[in-house]
Amino acid sequence: MTTTVDAPPRRRPAALATLRQLYTIVLRMQLTPLRTLAVAALGAIGILLGFLTGSDDDPVQATVEMIGGYGITVAIPLCILWLATSSVGDLIDDGLLVYLWLKPVARWQLPGASVLATGTVVLALVVVPLVVATLVAGTPELGLDALVACVLATLAYAGLFVALGLWLRRALWWGLAYLLVWENGVARASEGASRLSVGGYARSVLARLTDVELELGGRPLVLSLVVLVAVTIGGWLAATYRYRRAEIA
Amino acid sequence: MSATPVVEVEGVSKWFGGVVAVSDVSFSIPVGVTALLGPNGAGKSTMLRMLCGLARPSKGTVRVLGRDPRTDVDVTALIGLAPQQESVFEPLTGRAFVRATAVLHGLPDPDAAAARALRTVELDPDDPRRLPTYSKGMRQRVKLAQAIVHEPQVIVLDEPLSGLDPRQRTQMVALFHRLGADGRCVIVTSHVLEEVERFGTNVLVMSKGRLAASGDFHEIRALMDDRPLRLRVRTDAAQRLGGVLVAAGVVVGVRVEEDGGLLVDTQDARRLAHELPRLARAEGARLYEIRPLDSDLEGVFRYLVER
Repeated sequence: MTTTVDAPPRRRPAALATLRQLYTIVLRMQLTPLRTLAVAALGAIGILLGFLTGSDDDPVQATVEMIGGYGITVAIPLCILWLATSSVGDLIDDGLLVYLWLKPVARWQLPGASVLATGTVVLALVVVPLVVATLVAGTPELGLDALVACVLATLAYAGLFVALGLWLRRALWWGLAYLLVWENGVARASEGASRLSVGGYARSVLARLTDVELELGGRPLVLSLVVLVAVTIGGWLAATYRYRRAEIA
Repeated sequence: MSATPVVEVEGVSKWFGGVVAVSDVSFSIPVGVTALLGPNGAGKSTMLRMLCGLARPSKGTVRVLGRDPRTDVDVTALIGLAPQQESVFEPLTGRAFVRATAVLHGLPDPDAAAARALRTVELDPDDPRRLPTYSKGMRQRVKLAQAIVHEPQVIVLDEPLSGLDPRQRTQMVALFHRLGADGRCVIVTSHVLEEVERFGTNVLVMSKGRLAASGDFHEIRALMDDRPLRLRVRTDAAQRLGGVLVAAGVVVGVRVEEDGGLLVDTQDARRLAHELPRLARAEGARLYEIRPLDSDLEGVFRYLVER
């Protein structure tokens, strides 16, 4: 039997400090000039649409439909798909994950930081402009409701797509397929399939909070809130599970 | 290597689908500098990834400081790795990169630790440039700085001298020896035989995923030097020339190839170089080409594996 040099005890770093550091790294990696401009452009389109809905005969109905139809269905999921799948995906592709993996940091932190960083960018560049759109449309009473629905959608999509980025190769394409084929095709055609639509639950939150009827917005408020939070946490846990078992190149 | 092992590898294999990258390798590494030598594709980097817990062995066990680096997150605090790949965090400066490592290791003053590590590898901590603007040598050194910033017990460096100029190489080798003398286990990979001589006496040689040799560098070097050198001689009288070379005791083996070429194995290349033209002239044989085969590092490793 051989004797081995024992590992001297070292204290783990504070979780908040390491989470903040990982968040900063992921955020800086995500914010390339191209991505920032493209995401900001989609946010700006929301404000322009706000001007148009403000001149509608029923600005409340038109603005809620714009938030649900453009914001929650197009701008938010597309931006999150791009940012979230690239947040860990770029680190893997560039061989940089090795620098983050080999640290005494709990494995849940990097997927968590990716969800938060993705959420931050979309919140600042897409969700805030959508709230501004409610103001320019002359419907400030919708601002808080839009904010709640968009934030929940942002977090749920971020959890889902960060997990997708870790589980699947070509996650961007799988994510696009989910958004285009499932959420905007199958889910609209079938009541059963619509139960597996993140966008449907986010639109339901918006519809219930604003009392405006929306397509795929008929689910109960509490159920929608629970599902969106569950998708966020479930995506983050699935990403953590995968990251913990990943082989790092 | 009789000293107390810091790293222990027992019957480790790693395969990717049908490709075997590492095959049934066992060794232990004590404190000090140990060189892991082998040609490109020998399995060195895969072995290092398993030592650091980045990859799971398909078979066998790896222990670092008595713990499993794959499942024990805390043991990663005691390992510093400078990987081979050149990619870096593009938006960061050198200091921000090393500082981030210091923060993730929970150092009390990450800024000062980063500055110290950068100075150790002769980089300016106040350099405001971002990492993509760094030369290859600077990138190597910044990777080294992030590997040592938390003063780990085990330092794993994958081809760390690649891209450095001779003066920097000397400085870095001296640094490895200082770290080893300081009670750390420094594992350095290289595919350059001459480079390894400077790292120290402990050597592990890998070839084709197997451990070809291990132990004292000078003993292994002697084994390498003992191997016969194979040359291909193109001549118009292969059979005759082969016969006289054997009779003269200049070669230990000859073989005439189908195209008329003559393969010769010799233990004494210098004598062969001297005798071959003389014997060819005496036999009236024309020499068109003399080409050494198997003289590259790959051949040396192959010899060690097949011996």
